[in-house]
Amino acid sequence: MKRDPVVVIVVAIVITFMLVYGVQRARHAHDSLNRENDITGKLAPDFSLQSLDGKTIRLSDFKGKAVLLNFWATWCEPCKIETPWFVQLQNQYGPSGLQVLGVDMDEDTSSKDIAKFAKEMGMNYPVVLVKEGVTESYGGLDYLPASFYIDRDGRVVDKVFGLKGRAEVESSVKKALASGQAVRAAR
Amino acid sequence: MSFRVRCVSKSGLALLFCCTAAVLVADEIPGKKIPYVTAAPMPVTTVQRGKPTPVELHFRVASGYHVNSNTPSLEYLIATALKLDAPTDIVVGKIKYPAGQMMSFPFAPDQKLSVYSGPFDLAVTVRPLASVLPGKYSLRGHLKYQACDNAACYPPRELPVEFEVKVTKAAGAGGGRRNPRQSPHVHM
Repeated sequence: MKRDPVVVIVVAIVITFMLVYGVQRARHAHDSLNRENDITGKLAPDFSLQSLDGKTIRLSDFKGKAVLLNFWATWCEPCKIETPWFVQLQNQYGPSGLQVLGVDMDEDTSSKDIAKFAKEMGMNYPVVLVKEGVTESYGGLDYLPASFYIDRDGRVVDKVFGLKGRAEVESSVKKALASGQAVRAAR
Repeated sequence: MSFRVRCVSKSGLALLFCCTAAVLVADEIPGKKIPYVTAAPMPVTTVQRGKPTPVELHFRVASGYHVNSNTPSLEYLIATALKLDAPTDIVVGKIKYPAGQMMSFPFAPDQKLSVYSGPFDLAVTVRPLASVLPGKYSLRGHLKYQACDNAACYPPRELPVEFEVKVTKAAGAGGGRRNPRQSPHVHM
């Protein structure tokens, strides 16, 4: 069968147009979803999780403090780079109202091993064990490390996914410490 | 240039344009899930009853990612490991993993990690018992791995793995043996 080249070209153009249109629609839908999942500027979802020493810790327990909420796991090598920074930042900014809170995402590791790891890393801040629904409430976490910076009013002022530099982490900590009604009232 | 040649080249160009556009846009589809490790199609391996035979399985780590080797260099890292469920009369022996490449990454430039990146092969030793009926058998399992890129790590995943072996009678077997009393779970 002989193909008319004009028809072939028209079909190719139509297919290309449909593909481009479809992708644009998908991208638009994805952007909308991202905006929906982005909790920056919103109140940080509260949770109640078990700490490594068996206590129940709620995020709302730290209201009035700036919180660096860090999701990590023992299998996450980049997380181990950040941990000493968090230890230093807790020492440095703790007296100014910073509270670092680690959320461990391990599934197959015993809490005993996680505690051993935390001790080896010198974590001087509480670590809680993740539970279903928590990461979803923070927009879903596809990878680690992931940190949320929460101001003294409990509002998310910044989020950092993946390993970034220490300066960026410290800058976000300062932002969280400087935000919130309590800070504004004191000025 | 003849009309026919011109037609062919126009059609070819149009199709090339269409395919290129498709590839370009597909690459940009947001939110697409990247399979960090993929398995190559696995051909059927012929194995003799009673004889241990290595079966090679080929995997590939996606570009820009790495997974820990079977013997990670640090205590808490998750090893790449294959687990197989074989039919009852087929024995899966030792799984031979390649040695990891010792690599350092931007997140820890002073530290070398034992990883796989790009293609890597595993060898599984399969030994059908003498009682197995000749035929094709399916072995299923999963490859557990945990991938990272240069700045982040992804939760552990399991890649389904399936391959077939064709069990034949042992060389020189007289065929006087009758069907076994116990047959395997999976017989295809």
